[in-house]
Amino acid sequence: MAQRPLPVPDEQSAPYWKAAAEHVLTVARCSRCGAYSIPISAECDRCHSPDPDYRFEPVTGRGTIRSWTVIQQSFLPGFDDDVPFVLVDVELDEQPDLRMIGRLLDGANAPRHLGDRVTVAFEDLAPGSSVPAFTLDAT
Amino acid sequence: MSNDQVAIVGYAQSQVQRHAEQPLGELAVETSRRAIADAGLEIGQVDGFVGSAMFPTAGAHAAIDGVSMVTPEWLAQHLGAQPRYSAGYHGMGQIPGSVALAVDAILAGEADYVLMHRALHNPAGSYHGNPTFEAGGFAQWTAPQGFFGPLAMIALPYTEYLQRYGASRSTTAAVAVEARKNGARIPWSHWYERALTEEEYLAAPILADPICRYDCDIPVDGAAAFVFTSAERAVDLPNRPVYVSGYALAQPPPRRLALHWPLDDIMGAGADTVRNLWEDSGVGPTDVDLPQLYDGFSPLVYFWLEALGYCSPGEAHELVRGGGIDSDVPGALPVLSGGGALGNGRMHGIPQMLECYLQLSGRAGNRQRDATIGLASHAAPHVGGAVVYRSGV
Repeated sequence: MAQRPLPVPDEQSAPYWKAAAEHVLTVARCSRCGAYSIPISAECDRCHSPDPDYRFEPVTGRGTIRSWTVIQQSFLPGFDDDVPFVLVDVELDEQPDLRMIGRLLDGANAPRHLGDRVTVAFEDLAPGSSVPAFTLDAT
Repeated sequence: MSNDQVAIVGYAQSQVQRHAEQPLGELAVETSRRAIADAGLEIGQVDGFVGSAMFPTAGAHAAIDGVSMVTPEWLAQHLGAQPRYSAGYHGMGQIPGSVALAVDAILAGEADYVLMHRALHNPAGSYHGNPTFEAGGFAQWTAPQGFFGPLAMIALPYTEYLQRYGASRSTTAAVAVEARKNGARIPWSHWYERALTEEEYLAAPILADPICRYDCDIPVDGAAAFVFTSAERAVDLPNRPVYVSGYALAQPPPRRLALHWPLDDIMGAGADTVRNLWEDSGVGPTDVDLPQLYDGFSPLVYFWLEALGYCSPGEAHELVRGGGIDSDVPGALPVLSGGGALGNGRMHGIPQMLECYLQLSGRAGNRQRDATIGLASHAAPHVGGAVVYRSGV
């Protein structure tokens, strides 16, 4: 079975992937104004500091579904056994409009609605390589 | 502001087909020669070259000039031209961006006759399939989760739209059917004489729910070219000029993950694009009698209808369901009368621009409509752009 693409940490993202491997979701945060940023950038989206000294800080991993798609045909290797799978567009609780995208692990047939609450979960792809996903909160 | 000071004076469009017999560069050269001749000019008179060379694949295909994409510089060299000016547009709104370069070069006196081209290639094998096992750079934040490529990109805001406004994807069949109906009437279209039925649409495989196969334009080989000059010079040339009244290119939307297009970004930043378009062109939506809306993915027609003010947010699907974009119905908005990308093939914003040119220059043959002000949009309202054209009477 083909393997899914693995994240390649770089100098900036290494702390994120190290925390993810321990199943801790972090988000880059500007040291100047405190704004969270997805994805990390060279300067802060809010205060425009060219030297935001970003830190990856742990977040609750809780959020709200803003949209989804059910992938029936993946253009990447390693997902053939997973299709159909759901991707959710999630607004994290930490900051308005702080959005990330991950798989929803409840299966393609699980009922879902805009506004449903989710919590982060992690998929272990390889030793030391885990990626964030989400599961629906019990209602 | 271009203010009708620059005009399109000639064009050529190649056959749009799945795989052309000749290399893409040759197709672009041949099409450009025809456009220059159509404008009543010699190659030596063309002193400006503009265009976009984007090869919009998510796959592992190489971008090779003259083979899988064609830059203005490559084209000038292979036509044997000696341009004073050449420039490429690198944003998402490639067609309005290229038109802007042509207009600005002429207004600034950098060139007298500018050739704008677009050449698109369909490589062998899967268009977007990518065998990568490593996701670095921007891709590290999305590809490991399986968020990849433009189908997932458009599926997210499309779901948001359907859910928020209680719309059904079955309504969107009318967008694809309208595009293919018109494309079936166009001899150079890949879909010539091949209309689509609602039943075929609804039976098509879902690729990234709610996006099905027929919501996506089909990859093709094809080239188109247009010749621009000043309004003063245009009157001495054989064809009726079509003036550029104004254009707008999207300003940077909120920074997001790669290919992440929340619906509120599309409509929020899109409102800025549209406001700039009306200001620059000096017209409003009701002045336009030939709106041509970009449809590389069918939901984009909803987004443009609403962004341009043809209906209120959330109402485009109702407009479409009620026959509001049927180009054969008097009084309806003929937004896909040129077939669009869904009805021609993946020529990006060319079908919209070409339909404006053909109709406003009186060269649409048996498809001729009565129209004086056209609008051609490209990509999505928050990342693309649009041009307003006026018929030279």
